[in-house]
Amino acid sequence: MSPSLSSDAASTSRTGAPHPPELASLTLGFVPLLDAALLIIAREGGFFAVQGVEVSLSRENAWSTLRDKVAAGLLDGAQMLAPMPLAMSLGLSRAPCDTLAAAVLSRQGNTLVLSRRLADAVGASVDNGEPGAFGAASELARRFKASLKEGTRPRLAMVYPYSCQHLLLRDWLARGDIDVDSEVELVALPPPRMVDALREGEIDGFCVGEPWGSLAQHRQVGRVVASGAELMPAHPEKVLGVTASWARRYPNTLSALLRALQAAALWLDKAPEARRQTLAWLALPPYLDEAVGHLDELPLEAAPGYPCIGERLRPLTADFEGLIQRLSPLLEARGRQLDTATLEECYSAVHYDAATHQYGADTP
Amino acid sequence: MPEHDTLKVLLVDDEIVRAAMVEEALALDGHQVVCRLSSPASLNDMVQQHQPDVVIIDMESPDRDTLESMALLQRENPRPVVFFADQHDPESLKAAVKAGVSAYVVDGLAANRVKAVIDVAIARFEAFQGMRRDLDKARNQLADRKRIEQAKGLLMKHQSCDEEQAYRMLRKLAMDRGQRIAQVAQNVIDILKPLEKGS
Repeated sequence: MSPSLSSDAASTSRTGAPHPPELASLTLGFVPLLDAALLIIAREGGFFAVQGVEVSLSRENAWSTLRDKVAAGLLDGAQMLAPMPLAMSLGLSRAPCDTLAAAVLSRQGNTLVLSRRLADAVGASVDNGEPGAFGAASELARRFKASLKEGTRPRLAMVYPYSCQHLLLRDWLARGDIDVDSEVELVALPPPRMVDALREGEIDGFCVGEPWGSLAQHRQVGRVVASGAELMPAHPEKVLGVTASWARRYPNTLSALLRALQAAALWLDKAPEARRQTLAWLALPPYLDEAVGHLDELPLEAAPGYPCIGERLRPLTADFEGLIQRLSPLLEARGRQLDTATLEECYSAVHYDAATHQYGADTP
Repeated sequence: MPEHDTLKVLLVDDEIVRAAMVEEALALDGHQVVCRLSSPASLNDMVQQHQPDVVIIDMESPDRDTLESMALLQRENPRPVVFFADQHDPESLKAAVKAGVSAYVVDGLAANRVKAVIDVAIARFEAFQGMRRDLDKARNQLADRKRIEQAKGLLMKHQSCDEEQAYRMLRKLAMDRGQRIAQVAQNVIDILKPLEKGS
């Protein structure tokens, strides 16, 4: 990264220096996915350091583990699935823990992949180009329905019940008029397991964030049949999640993190070498390692989800409403109703605005 | 042990020694333990087959997401599992996370029936953590000693001194730099070793 960018970020605080962060060092959790990119850029590019925080990134094996460590205070915060702060606050899968999305880290970026056998059966080919470029998700879903045989239920994986991947998978199945409960079997698997599980025949398809879908296609174990960009354009996908009590206790630290993330996003958008450099960082062993070996350049439409710079990191309640609406049948199945107050507490721009507007830190 | 306190426990842990410790302790308390070490097969089938009351699973296990989703995804599953958390006792939940234990129980099972099982698991996981820490420490000490010996040998050769003098040299360097003697030894090796090869 060019040093000039870091010093710019520090020197443009014209209206007075921001309050120093309460914590000098902290740990954020992530799951190996392209859309951990902003966190990785902010760490490796020194954007966190410029804001006075030393951030360690801890790779987590499962979304439930990441969630429990944040709730127990073993992690200060984490890359979270967009619906996760709400699910945690409502206590849907563990004891309730008020959690909020302080920034949007990525949008869309998911792919839906079928095993080669099923892809052949529905006539999906790899010649259509980039993942998600098929533009024929619904048609393929209808053909998938037609290919289903009596007595067999293809096993399809997503990553976590309260995830966009789950919603996207259901959306796609609904387009083909496929009954989720009787015609397929849904399971959850952590992203890094998807490609192997598909190759071993443990699952017949999956919906997951990049790079795992394009990797499956590259390794010829499956084919991309639909993308999140196609099914739910620009939906918020990952957020920076912290507990409400952490945010109350360390407001200046949170502001520092948010300013660093915004600076990282601007750098990714503006600097000519940024995409290549980011991919090199992602390929480091603690992050995605060889899982990005098939990519020549960071696909911005997948991570952080094009265009996802500046204001697009700002978490607006309205932006999440559509997503959460789709989630409500799952909530209702657990006897929960969605209330606006909780939604607004989980997804609001107050922390983001406090961090980025107060000091004019990022105005050129 | 009264019959109604016997619980059927499914233990999912790839750490063989730890799993054995937990299994033994739970069996002593009269619980019926099914142990499952490795994970590629369907955890779902395992739950279906054994119908456990409690699943104890390594917090770091990638299988957790799979296990956790069952309750929500498979409505016909006769044994839905929910993440165990005693909401009146946040400290014990924190202790479990710190020890690396996560547990799932059959929905509706009273917390007080499960707590003893969880506590046993936490205690064994903690004991295992302690064992591993001691082992790592012993291993590091051994590695440190080897490094110091090697550095001494190199110094003796390059400075034409005896062992005692070489050790004093290392100790002085360590004191001057405020570093551990093993660290200084490593520096010495890094500098002198390439010279060895070149000569």
